[in-house]
Amino acid sequence: MSTVSETISRGRSARRVRIDGWRWGGRAFLVFMLLYTALPMIWMLLTSIKSGFAAMQFPPQWWPDQPTLASYQKLLDPQNSVGQDFLRFFWNSLIVSTATTILSVIVAVPAAYAFSRFTFPGRNFLFFAVLLRNMFPAVIFLVPLFILMRAIGLVNTHGSLVLTYLTFGLPLAIWLLKGFYDNIPVQLEQAARIDGATRFQAFVLIVMPLSTPGVIATAIYSFIGAWNEYIYAYTFLSKNEQLTLPVGIQRFFSENTTDFPGLMAASFMMSVPVVVLFLLLQRYFVRALTEGAVKH
Amino acid sequence: MTIVSGKAEPRRRLQSARSDVLRKMWGHRADYAYVLPAIAVMLIVIAYPIYYTIELSFFNTPPGLQLRDKIFVGFSNYTAILTSGVFWQVTFNTLIWTVASTFVSFVLGFAAALALHRDFVGRGVLRAILIIPWVISAVAASYIWKWIYHSDFGIIGAVLVELGWASRPPNFIDSVSTVLPSLIVVNIWREFPFAMIMMTAGLQTVPEQLLRAAKVDGANAWQRFWHVTFPHLRNVSTVTILLLAVANFNSFIIPWIMTGGGPSNASHIWITHIYELAFGRQRWGVASAYSVLLFIILMTLGYFYVRALSGNERKDGSA
Repeated sequence: MSTVSETISRGRSARRVRIDGWRWGGRAFLVFMLLYTALPMIWMLLTSIKSGFAAMQFPPQWWPDQPTLASYQKLLDPQNSVGQDFLRFFWNSLIVSTATTILSVIVAVPAAYAFSRFTFPGRNFLFFAVLLRNMFPAVIFLVPLFILMRAIGLVNTHGSLVLTYLTFGLPLAIWLLKGFYDNIPVQLEQAARIDGATRFQAFVLIVMPLSTPGVIATAIYSFIGAWNEYIYAYTFLSKNEQLTLPVGIQRFFSENTTDFPGLMAASFMMSVPVVVLFLLLQRYFVRALTEGAVKH
Repeated sequence: MTIVSGKAEPRRRLQSARSDVLRKMWGHRADYAYVLPAIAVMLIVIAYPIYYTIELSFFNTPPGLQLRDKIFVGFSNYTAILTSGVFWQVTFNTLIWTVASTFVSFVLGFAAALALHRDFVGRGVLRAILIIPWVISAVAASYIWKWIYHSDFGIIGAVLVELGWASRPPNFIDSVSTVLPSLIVVNIWREFPFAMIMMTAGLQTVPEQLLRAAKVDGANAWQRFWHVTFPHLRNVSTVTILLLAVANFNSFIIPWIMTGGGPSNASHIWITHIYELAFGRQRWGVASAYSVLLFIILMTLGYFYVRALSGNERKDGSA
């Protein structure tokens, strides 16, 4: 026994000499990618805890001499006008993103289920038509959608954003969910049908609970997409009190461009919800992409 | 049967096929109820705008977008685009932007996925950190990098001066020659995690036995990668590259916020240019004509996308 494992391990170590180059190359590469990814974010954080004066120095203070949370206090203080604006933008983003998320799940779940289970004529055509939506940039739709929203009286409302976000979130939502449904054995539903459940009951009682991870992933995706969306919000909304965060921050800081600590603090605050959400639920998210895209 | 009917047979077959489809559709009428909400939303917000864009591209519409006062001008919006010098500059920028962003993002993402494939302490944390740029808003990313590239107080310029590689901080995004590469670096920063996620997912489907068999047969690491792993990932790679290409072709936020297309159009790409034509200069007709051209390009790309996807399906079906 021991001799066998010895020879195996000796064989391995002999081979490892050659592999090592690759492994060290991989490590060096990962360090490089870590720096490339993290340094900009670290610099954002370091700048956000400087005073406006300290940020505007050359050579820069690599580490803030007098760290201060003043920028964050200003943004989160409902008493001053900056804080009022920022908190309102934050609230608007939250409302729009939540409404979009709920609606996309409601619309995407039945559609994805149908694409996965039923074989009705035109199924493939409709599925690809839905996917094709992902190909087209917002700009193509902006002018006509602007006219459409004006015609149905949705310009300057959050409804216009929710309706638009719904459509650009749907294709991927449907795609991701379909991957999940494809992996749930049909036999489970058939068993339920034999026991007297209707198709709809089988769907709600058997399939829905099993696909919860998929629904969570879809919800995260919709939320992040809506939270970060910029161009429609930039075009459809003009009243200051309705702006969502990305546009609000841009309007706000185009007026006083020198306040880089404030801008960095705002960028950080804007990123916190989606990053936290993503880190908490990334397992579902990555798995959903796997199921949808790879095992398609 | 084949002898008697020369022409009538195919037609009859066609007819019966058509009524078959209708009957089938009727038989599946309940199934359509599931997809109806999705299709309805899509139709309102997609089919209608596409129709409208095509119509507007043949008209000159006054700046205030009063549709009643639009004037039919035929193809003159299209000829105006193709004869303007800006068009070719913007197209060239878009080409560089899309190809460079897609290629480098894919290579970096794929390499990161490979390097993270072997388990080690802290792998999960590292992977999560690498994905964060993809999650945060492009607006935030644009501001972070705008500050990093700042011509007076930017950190990259400061590092270059400290190291003695430059006498004063260089202008990254205010100079015609460096603006596009600088923005591409930002775009890659945001896009490579997507490639990494997709390729990580793909790597998990490579059968372990095949790799082990190749190892037993004496294949080295590179040979195992090139002859086993890579062919297995062809479809995922195709889909990933296409999705990246489309996303990059459609980018807007990074150039728009960081430079607004400047200096002197050096960082204008199609989408920012169209946006400026429409909502900046209010030349709705020209902007719509641009959109139609864009639409045609994307439909071509979309054709390959669908082919790649259905290629996947066919392969699954036979396996």
